[in-house]
Amino acid sequence: MKAQLVRWLLGAALLVFGGLAQAHKASDSYLQVDAGAKGTTVRWDIALRDLDAALDIDTNEDGKLTWGEVKTAWPRIEAYALPRLKIEGCALRPTGQALERRNDGAYAVMMLASDCVLKSAPVITYSLFREIDPTHRGIAKVQLAGQPLSLTMLDPSRGGAAPTAGAASAGAPEHIAPSGALGFLREGIRHILTGYDHVLFLLCLLLPSVMRRTPQGWRPVEKLSQAVWPVVGIVSAFTVAHSITLGLAALKLVSLPPSFIEPAIAVTIILAALDNVWPIFPVPRVVVTFFFGLIHGFGFAGVLGELNLPPAQFAWALLEFNVGLELGQLMIVVCVTALLFMLRERTHYRGWVVRGGSYAAILVGMLWLIERTANVSLMPF
Amino acid sequence: MRALSRVASRVASRALVALACATALATPLSSSATPIAPTSDDEVIDVLPAVTGDRAEARRLRKQLTQTPRDAALALAVARRYLDQAHELGDPRFAGMAMSAIDPWRDDATMPDDVLLMRATLQQYLHEFDASAASLQRLLARPGLPRPQAWLTLATVRRVQGRYAESDTACRQVATAGAALHANACLAENLALRGDVDRARATFTALLADSRQPPATRAWLTTSLAELEQRAGHAQAAEAAFQAALKLDPDAYTALDYADFLIEQKRPAQALAMLKDQPRSDAVLLRLAIAGTQAKAPSAASDVAEMRERIALANERPDAKLFHGREQAMFALAVDADAAKALDLARGNVAQQREPLDLFVLAQAARASGQAAAIEQAKRLTGEIGLVDQRIKAIL
Repeated sequence: MKAQLVRWLLGAALLVFGGLAQAHKASDSYLQVDAGAKGTTVRWDIALRDLDAALDIDTNEDGKLTWGEVKTAWPRIEAYALPRLKIEGCALRPTGQALERRNDGAYAVMMLASDCVLKSAPVITYSLFREIDPTHRGIAKVQLAGQPLSLTMLDPSRGGAAPTAGAASAGAPEHIAPSGALGFLREGIRHILTGYDHVLFLLCLLLPSVMRRTPQGWRPVEKLSQAVWPVVGIVSAFTVAHSITLGLAALKLVSLPPSFIEPAIAVTIILAALDNVWPIFPVPRVVVTFFFGLIHGFGFAGVLGELNLPPAQFAWALLEFNVGLELGQLMIVVCVTALLFMLRERTHYRGWVVRGGSYAAILVGMLWLIERTANVSLMPF
Repeated sequence: MRALSRVASRVASRALVALACATALATPLSSSATPIAPTSDDEVIDVLPAVTGDRAEARRLRKQLTQTPRDAALALAVARRYLDQAHELGDPRFAGMAMSAIDPWRDDATMPDDVLLMRATLQQYLHEFDASAASLQRLLARPGLPRPQAWLTLATVRRVQGRYAESDTACRQVATAGAALHANACLAENLALRGDVDRARATFTALLADSRQPPATRAWLTTSLAELEQRAGHAQAAEAAFQAALKLDPDAYTALDYADFLIEQKRPAQALAMLKDQPRSDAVLLRLAIAGTQAKAPSAASDVAEMRERIALANERPDAKLFHGREQAMFALAVDADAAKALDLARGNVAQQREPLDLFVLAQAARASGQAAAIEQAKRLTGEIGLVDQRIKAIL
């Protein structure tokens, strides 16, 4: 008993030393997903030593993996690995094999291909080595045509589908949380910042916000607070409205076809811009904003559908996406309002900024309307 | 104005890091991967890591475990083998495999005591210190026999986190649980960290006077003594203690520790000689790269290149800096002389790991950066923890 206790305690003493010795690389596999116009290719690199732990590749148990052993085991390697990787919408078939040496040992390289055409970041389900090593990860680099490379960590012990962090830009890999946590938040921010039609609509509403309507026409406000409250009102109305329809559409309670929504969004821009030049709305702008916001909400929901929200965390992902939208919107509103407030006293503000801006918005809105109804491409975005 | 230039330089360094990351990402997979074109069936493609004991036996146990995954005794035996291997080779893959052996037990409330203790130990190895402490506290809250091992591990975890008062409490429980020698050494270690060097030295010396202790225990105590003298700035006494510890039990940890001491003492050639026959774990390779650079040794270039490649590979995991922050900071500082990067890494590292070496690296990076705020931060953190270390004092 005493001797055993001493051994135990010695073990504990040795643990102190763990900190220093630990620094080797953990087990990773590497996935390179290239989405082309005709199909998708995947290159998957898996460490042979990890495969040996699962499949006993080293048949003669001498601690050395020979080419003969690896070659014989290759069908087993494919049979083991392939069912543990799923890219949504893509049936992967092996097209080639190779070996390569990395710093931490030799890797089996599997070339896979599928006819699927990926338009947005795919959901990757990954469970390699789940029963062997829960600290194993898949490091996936996903390259979609014309988009920045995105990096995602795939955690096999989570089991479920991991949305790839399509929003993560190549410049900030350290901000990519494991398995795309908060990925939908970023997706939301990205969508509003790069969703030019929503931004333009917001801009149209904000342009006159540093002015007030008098019988003589638009006049600059005296104090910032006079501009802030109308802005808060308009932004809140837009937010509440698009949250309602986004929620309804996401829960599949209401559904409107994109062929109606997309042109309708263009119309909201045209009307909002027109109202800046000639008052056309019989009701306060807040009310109009609310109704138009309902339409934009359906537009957001369309994107949400493409993102393939995991059913298990549906509500959470939806909330994240919406919070992301609001954050992005807040950034735009704060910057634009501050800028416009500084410019409001300029003699040409009303003429150039409000009028000119509104005419430009009307023009863009018209072009979008034509594009979206006639299904032609007139603009680069 | 100075504050402004500091901000500007930080922004610039962040931008550089981001740029570097972008470049790394843009490279298709890792550039370090080279194709293998085997020419015959007998060609050895890869050599598997050494196993503790017999390879066939290890496999037999693993197979048996697949058939009876809820056999706790078997699962623990397998987990312990893997953990030993992780320690011997400095390879965290084995800690992950040990984790999988105890994976069938998911429910904290019904998990057997030994499984819970193993999980805490593995969490500690994987630097999940908070999770490890939580597992241990859960175990210690259970009724049953005294648990000296769990208390001692908890004392260690709290010490690594820089929470000395909580470590003391756990050390005292080791004594209550009936393991006097370990309890005394545990308390003396904390005394020494707080700068009560004389009392700590007296305790270690008294414990070592008992010649019935096995060599491994005596080596462990002697290494503690050497570290105490090293922190107190008594180079000669530290040197003697390191030598004595290595004579008792030449383990990898003591060799590394001694190498760090030699590098500090500006004796890089001896550090190189010390480590050249050790297995090239990341920790060993890092010291080889640092000492080689300082000694202008012919081996330096290839060691530095290999270490740089390993860091790049590890960093493909976005959270790698959490686990390798200390080593990466040391590399940035001693090999690349990149103070700003080292400071960033050292700051991230002390968020979880606060052993004297972590604080020392932070202090060195702060000093090298010349940033008053960073020096102030290192000073404040050292003070908050209560660490007294003459090496740190000398540079802050």
